[in-house]
Amino acid sequence: MFSERAGSLMEYRDYYKILGVARTATAEEIKKSYRRLARKYHPDVSKEKDAESKFKELQEAYEVLKDPEKRAAYDQLGSEWKSGQQFRPPPDWASGFEFSGGAGARGAGGGHAFDEQGFSEFFSQLFGGHSPFGGAGRRQSAGGRDHHARIDVELEEVFGGGTRTLELKRPEVKADGSVELRTHTVRVTLPAGVTDGQLIRLAGQGEAAPGGGRAGDLYLEVHVRPHRLYQLDGRNVTLTLPVAPWEAALGASVTVPTLGGAVEMQIPAGAQSGQKLRLRGRGLPGQPPGDAYVQLKVVLPPADSPEARTLYESMRTQLAGFDPRADLRR
Amino acid sequence: MSEFVEVYPVRVLAEGDWIGAAEACRLCRIELEVVMELADLGLLSPRGDAPLDWQVPAGALPRLALAGRLIQDLGVNVSGAVLAIELLERQRSLQRQIELLQRLTQD
Repeated sequence: MFSERAGSLMEYRDYYKILGVARTATAEEIKKSYRRLARKYHPDVSKEKDAESKFKELQEAYEVLKDPEKRAAYDQLGSEWKSGQQFRPPPDWASGFEFSGGAGARGAGGGHAFDEQGFSEFFSQLFGGHSPFGGAGRRQSAGGRDHHARIDVELEEVFGGGTRTLELKRPEVKADGSVELRTHTVRVTLPAGVTDGQLIRLAGQGEAAPGGGRAGDLYLEVHVRPHRLYQLDGRNVTLTLPVAPWEAALGASVTVPTLGGAVEMQIPAGAQSGQKLRLRGRGLPGQPPGDAYVQLKVVLPPADSPEARTLYESMRTQLAGFDPRADLRR
Repeated sequence: MSEFVEVYPVRVLAEGDWIGAAEACRLCRIELEVVMELADLGLLSPRGDAPLDWQVPAGALPRLALAGRLIQDLGVNVSGAVLAIELLERQRSLQRQIELLQRLTQD
C-alpha cells in the first residue's frame, strides 16, 4: 500500500535546521531548542510576524525528532537534502522499523491529542496519520478526530451575523491507500453577537471516522479583526468621538455612528476630553447585549485665520482665570 | 479537488452554556487532572460534585484550551500556565487601554 505513495514529489524539510540543532544533537538538546523556539513563536504569546506558521514548522520538526523511531527513519533519508528541495520518498520507506504504537501511544504518552493539521505534505506522507508511523489502523473503530480552525471576522459580521465560506484543507485516504489533501468547503452562518474568542461547533464536520463511526466535529475559534473606528471588549464597543471645544463646553446634540446605525447623542455641558458616555445596549447583540461607549476627544480648531486668532485672543483675555496647570502647583 | 458542503447546524458555545467535563477535556485537548488543578487555582469555576460529573461554563473554554496549549507546547506546569494566562489577559487589557489613549492623542 505504501509503495504506491512513494512516487509523489514533495518539498524536503530539514527538521534539524528548523530546530536549529546539529544532526548529532542529543534528545535533551533537541527538547531545549524546541522549548526555546516555541516560547518565541507560540501564537498565544508571540508578537513575531508569521508566528503561527513558524510555530507549526517547529511542532512538525519536533514531532519527528523527539521520537527515536521517527528520527531514525528520518535520518535514513540522508544528510544531503536541503529544505525546499524536490524530494521523493524511497519505495521501501520505513520498512524494517518496528513501531511502538503510533497515534494511540502518542495520545496516551503525551496526554494530549496529536494534531497534524497545518503540517507539510512531507510530514503527512512520511509520518502522518496514514503512514506506518501514524497508527491509523489502531483507530478503525474509533470516531473521527475533531478539527480546529481559526476564523478572522469583521466586527460588522459579528454584529449582524452573516455567512462565511471557509476552505479547509483536509487529508483523505484514497482507495489505493494514498493520502490526498482535499479542499473541504464549508459555509457557516455566524450567529449575530458571537464575540472574540468564542467557539462555534459544527457537528460532524471534523475528520471522517475511518471505520464508518461518528465523524469528529469542527470547532471554529472566532477572532474579530481590529476595527478602524470601534474597539471591542467582550460585547462592549468603544468609539472615540472627536468634538469641538464649544460642543464639550456648552453641550450639544451630535450624531454618533454605532454598529446598528447612527444615533443622536446628547453631550452634557462641561464634558472633558477622555470622558466616556454610555449608549446602553448599542454594543454587540446577546443576552444581555453589550453597550457602546463614546469616548470624547476634544479637537481644537487651528488658529490659521485672522478671525480664529481673534477668537483665541479673546478667550485668553476673557477666560484669564482658567489655569489648566493648577494641579501641577498643588 | 473541491467539495461543497452547505452547513446549517451551527452552535455557538457561549455564556449560559455548560459543558460536561469530559467533553471540555476532549474539546480543549486537556486532561481531567489538569482541569481539576486549574479549578483549584481559580482559573475556572465548575459546577457539580465529583470531577467526572463536573460541568464547566462554555465561557471558560478559550482559557482552558489556552492552558492546554501552553502546557503541551511550552512545557510549563499548571501553575505556570495560570500565571501566563493571567498575565496575558492583563496585557490585552492594558493594550486596549493604550489603543484608546492613542486614539485620544492622535490627530
